[in-house]
Amino acid sequence: MIVLAGTDYVAGTDYATRAVPLLPSRVNRAVIAIVRVGVGLLWLQNAGWKTPPDFGRGDPPDGLYLSTTYAVSHQVFGPYAWLVDRLVLPNFAFFGWMVLLVEASLGAFLLIGLATRFWAVVGMAQTVVIMLSILNAPHEWYWAYVLMLLAHMALFATAAGRYGGLDGLLRPSWQGSRSRFARLLVRVS
Amino acid sequence: MDRGALVLGVVSIVSAVFVFVHGTFQLVQIGAAGLVVALVLGLLAVVAGWLDERALMLGAGAGFLIAAAVQLVLLAGGRSGFLGGNASTFSLWLGLGVGLVAVGLAAVPEATEESLEATN
Repeated sequence: MIVLAGTDYVAGTDYATRAVPLLPSRVNRAVIAIVRVGVGLLWLQNAGWKTPPDFGRGDPPDGLYLSTTYAVSHQVFGPYAWLVDRLVLPNFAFFGWMVLLVEASLGAFLLIGLATRFWAVVGMAQTVVIMLSILNAPHEWYWAYVLMLLAHMALFATAAGRYGGLDGLLRPSWQGSRSRFARLLVRVS
Repeated sequence: MDRGALVLGVVSIVSAVFVFVHGTFQLVQIGAAGLVVALVLGLLAVVAGWLDERALMLGAGAGFLIAAAVQLVLLAGGRSGFLGGNASTFSLWLGLGVGLVAVGLAAVPEATEESLEATN
């Protein structure tokens, strides 16, 4: 296999003698970059209302704590509601920090397009968690969360960080390196 | 010229506009001290990218990571603190810091015989 620096061309087998770009159209590459940056900004902006140290746990509750209680009061999936009720809500400071760090990292890494396929998978997982909490909550449009899930699937499938992202700039040097970390970055980018 | 560092620096400078944007479209919260961070470190990243100076990229990246960490510590205390940001600010500076460090540490790839053949 041959991968050209700064592009995303794959060729070099006995069966394929011509280099073929994974996303041949410049317009397609630009659109995928815009989708990636947009999804990154979605997470980045929404990290802003996760407010430590109590994350909305008060009287009355609001913010992240209130959203999380919907998993119990407007149950989507029984076992998840049980887990939230017995484990998450009683230890909310810890889980609030985890949510903040994961979502802030999603914003950070998707925005710059670094290790994008890994963070796309994290984004899918976090979207499913959000869906399990608030899909049945009042005034929620469930397609919004389905669209979030589909957007992350598209970022994963297209390896979106290779187009206008740092994955595209840095993959050639990672591919030329023998370090395990560089090989890991090649796999997750 | 290193396009990666250059673009990351421009993103930081552009983020300064959110000092004036409030409400629905305020993607990130930038206060007065945060504005200084965004402009000074952003400019440093632009210069580093323009000159292809790895040490400057690492310096700017470390600066953003320190600013992000300080903002997070301030948030843990329940307020925005002197930087005037929120978790979105932390997220942005984390991305810029990690990105600049990654670009600064990256070795410049040498053209291989195979890639030259394929190019020709």
